[in-house]
Amino acid sequence: MARWHFAAVIAAGLMAGSGSALAWMRHGLAPVGQGWTGSAVAGSVDADPWTRARVALSGLLALDRSQAIYFVRTVDDAGRPLDQACRYRVSGGALPGRWWSVTVYAADNYLPRNDDGALSVDATRLHPDATGHWQALAASHRPPAGAWVSTRNAGHFDLTLRLYNPTPGAQADVSTITLPGVARIDCDRGVGG
Amino acid sequence: MRRPGQLALCCAAAIAIGHIATVIAAPRAIMHVAMRRLSEQGRVINAFRFSPRVDAHARWVVRPSPDLAYASCVYDLSHGAIVVRAAPAADHGYVSVSVFAANTDMIAVFDTLAQPRGIGFALALPGQTVPAGLSVVRATTARGIILDRRLAPDAARFAAADAARRADRCAPI
Repeated sequence: MARWHFAAVIAAGLMAGSGSALAWMRHGLAPVGQGWTGSAVAGSVDADPWTRARVALSGLLALDRSQAIYFVRTVDDAGRPLDQACRYRVSGGALPGRWWSVTVYAADNYLPRNDDGALSVDATRLHPDATGHWQALAASHRPPAGAWVSTRNAGHFDLTLRLYNPTPGAQADVSTITLPGVARIDCDRGVGG
Repeated sequence: MRRPGQLALCCAAAIAIGHIATVIAAPRAIMHVAMRRLSEQGRVINAFRFSPRVDAHARWVVRPSPDLAYASCVYDLSHGAIVVRAAPAADHGYVSVSVFAANTDMIAVFDTLAQPRGIGFALALPGQTVPAGLSVVRATTARGIILDRRLAPDAARFAAADAARRADRCAPI
């Protein structure tokens, strides 16, 4: 009887440990400020086992920061989870890299299942104003005009910013980068403001 | 030690072992699945495979970018080194070739910003011979993935990137 007790406790412990690791891997990356998260060592041989596991689950085949820096956010500027039922204004200025994009991903880490042909906005398709400021709408319905990224069928989604060929300054310290803001405009359920 | 204490100790040790084992095993397991998919269940090894334009239904790897054209080569160096070449983009847009080991580490990356006339290198395990004149990347695992990324944010640029990447090469030396 005693052996069965120990075997059951060990089996339960192994499952709990494995479950805690998977939950931790899904939790996401470290905050880098301005509502965004990221990792300085994604894809790098310097990554510790925990970072490597997180990146494997949610960003497999990611480049290291010499080539690209990845940022992810799951909340708007007020800290509320991003939701396809709401419309958001994504806006910012010039970013320190050769090229960048902002893409919507559903909670399963894949692109949302819609055929709107508007899964991202990128530096080649946005038209900044004279001050370098740009903006796009993240919403489930196409706006009459302006840049749009579709959140239809995305549920509780996240936004991923890819910054390719980042400048040496950006590579050295990601906290120096002024990242885009994400302001909620309104929601279908009338809870926006 | 009394029995409840022994049980608690066993439980704590099992939780720690389960946690650490999962963290260590997960990257290799996830890469294994990715290599199976990208090599079409092992049928396409040491050769580039050209992915169609990324759309909402792309499921070959997590978080694909709809703005990039991808070509992948699952490598196996157990029978010798391979050579990798990638042509530049006609419009001088972004092109990179990155090499990933079986534990997800990116062990090398090249782009056409640094090599505007095209990317070329040999990939070999330590001790394997390669022809003189080729830059060499020493792999840390016998198997892994090489990924060619090209900027292609619209249909016209994807068509141009697709035409250019057809000159890519990933093959035994």
